[in-house]
Amino acid sequence: MLEAKQLSKTYQGKEALKPTSFTVNKGDIFCLLGANGAGKTTTINLFLNFIQPSGGQALIGGKDVVKEPIETKKLLTYIPENLMLYPNLTGLENLEYFSGLASKKYPKEEFLKFLTEAGLQAEAHDKRISTYSKGMRQKVGIALALAKDAQVLLLDEPTSGLDPKASNEFSELLTKLSKKGVATLMATHDLFRAKETGTHIGMMREGSLVEQLTTDQINHTDLEKLYLKHMN
Amino acid sequence: MILKIALKELKEIVREGRFRITAITLFALLLAALFVSKSYYTSVNAQHSEAKKNARSEWVEQGQKNPHSAAHYGTYAFKPKYPLSLIDNGVDKYTGVSIYLEAHKRNEAQYAAAQDQTALSRFGDLTPDFVLIFIVPLFIILIGFNAFTRERESGTLRLLKSQGVSTWKLTMGKWLGLFLPVLLIAIPVYVLAALFLANIKDYGQFSLWALTLLFGVYLIYYAVFINITLFVSSLFKKSNVAFVTLLGIWMVSCLAMPKISTAIADKLYPYPTQVEFEEQIAVDKKKGLDGHNPWNTEAKKLEEETLKKYGVDSVQQLPFNWDGFLMQEGEKHTADIYFKHYQLLKDTYVNQTNVYRSTAALSPFLPTRFLSMAICRTDYTSHWDFANAAENYRIELVGKMNGDMAANSKYGDWDYLADDKLWSSVPDFQYEPASYTTVIRQNTSNLITLLAWLLLSFAALYGAVTKMKTI
Repeated sequence: MLEAKQLSKTYQGKEALKPTSFTVNKGDIFCLLGANGAGKTTTINLFLNFIQPSGGQALIGGKDVVKEPIETKKLLTYIPENLMLYPNLTGLENLEYFSGLASKKYPKEEFLKFLTEAGLQAEAHDKRISTYSKGMRQKVGIALALAKDAQVLLLDEPTSGLDPKASNEFSELLTKLSKKGVATLMATHDLFRAKETGTHIGMMREGSLVEQLTTDQINHTDLEKLYLKHMN
Repeated sequence: MILKIALKELKEIVREGRFRITAITLFALLLAALFVSKSYYTSVNAQHSEAKKNARSEWVEQGQKNPHSAAHYGTYAFKPKYPLSLIDNGVDKYTGVSIYLEAHKRNEAQYAAAQDQTALSRFGDLTPDFVLIFIVPLFIILIGFNAFTRERESGTLRLLKSQGVSTWKLTMGKWLGLFLPVLLIAIPVYVLAALFLANIKDYGQFSLWALTLLFGVYLIYYAVFINITLFVSSLFKKSNVAFVTLLGIWMVSCLAMPKISTAIADKLYPYPTQVEFEEQIAVDKKKGLDGHNPWNTEAKKLEEETLKKYGVDSVQQLPFNWDGFLMQEGEKHTADIYFKHYQLLKDTYVNQTNVYRSTAALSPFLPTRFLSMAICRTDYTSHWDFANAAENYRIELVGKMNGDMAANSKYGDWDYLADDKLWSSVPDFQYEPASYTTVIRQNTSNLITLLAWLLLSFAALYGAVTKMKTI
């Protein structure tokens, strides 16, 4: 579903991402681990076509994101570290608006169902976003993915700063979506969540993908050892 | 989708305190301005028709007198107050409302409103055109400066773009989101103005068509400002930078450019001062025929020619009153002198207007201002047109008086008296302003400039947003 083919990005002579290749299939949750500045966010921004690749290709559903920026975005939902919505609009209004931009129309009850499914308590649906906590906003992001019927999730440290319970809820939602066949690419610092929720792990350092493995190959302790080995 | 974006923008704008306060203030200002100018208009109009009636009856009932004395007694021409001056008072405040028509002399329009006002009026008047042309653009800037920068600063732009919406559609949505609140303010004002005007008695030349044209011009002007606002907002990363830039643009185009172009026009084509102007006329008059002085060289020459033409050897033998004839010839002569000098003034005026037209390319305010005044018939061109009509009427009136004297009395017979039959045979001064077709033809270049502003600002906006980076 998601494919990086020798994908690279250079900023003013500095290689933010060295030629990198990996694939995320349907139902996979691919967790990118690595220190800040390792190239995780750059990779996600390349898939979003927010920045232009210096080399290689980023493909979503077999389509090049540079050549078909609108088509490929129809397949994906993006949830950044801090999902920013319109503070003066309610959760429901935000969901309706952003889904509308993706040309998705539902009756109001359907939208409310998506919000509930994403774990947002009913009394918050009609409150303005300015009263929401970060965890609640991230849930609107999941509702957005549900409403859009997204086949790809691009997540940039979505659980950082969430309390353990909210973080756990978020991970459960990801698992639920992956069972529906959604391909997820997630940048994260949370080794524990990566092992628990992820199906695949990629470790990045200074712009290169230095390790790729599946989570069933390794236990928590070895994962941490391997991570520290690469980072030092 | 564009409508959906626009509605969301509108919802956000309305829920923000900033919009509510400015919109209510703006609306209150417009209403106040409209009421103030309505009451002013009604009272001036009442005075005007009263004065007009008085002037006519004074003329008709002036009693028996020599026709030439009647020409000296004179009458007044009153400039009609146009219904649309309710919206844009233009230069009316400074141009005077009536012209005294008398023999031998072309007078300037007198009794400008500005003469009656206190020093306070120097701080500007609260008129609808002030709000519509100065303040509404400021309002657009105030609600639109952060249209893009806000999305960028808060991070919603990334989410927007990740939903696969095209930037142009997003821009059109935002455009509409700014245009709708402007319409929301403009439409009630338009309807109110139409109601006021339709209910004013003797509203004369009011046509709904002209009011619609006027608002059409304003809407184009607002569209230009919306384009500029969105263009600047898409260019910068920070809202405050966009705001300061837009304020700068507003100050230059609405405050500085009008002053600069006036200064350029005055520098290139200065008007003579009143004293200079009158002196030049006096010099020319002295050189020519004096209707009241038969020993004047020009008068002597005319006398010889006329005697020769009629084959007689004294003015007493002429079939008409020589005095009346001589005075009419003098009148024609002075009228020519006035015509010549006013034409020179008019040339200067035309040259200045051309300067304004070329500087209009630098500020959308200028073509809008000129079109607005022209449609409301409160620009200098309208005043000129009226003054010329009054002068023609004066020449005709004095000609008729002198002609009557020449035809019906003997030379040296200053006791000849005419009565109301003659006075009322002179038709009342009727002035028909130039048709709107003429007005539009005179302002084609302003219209073209304004439309060029619209198209070019759209093109600039399109170029900027399609190149806009998400991060």
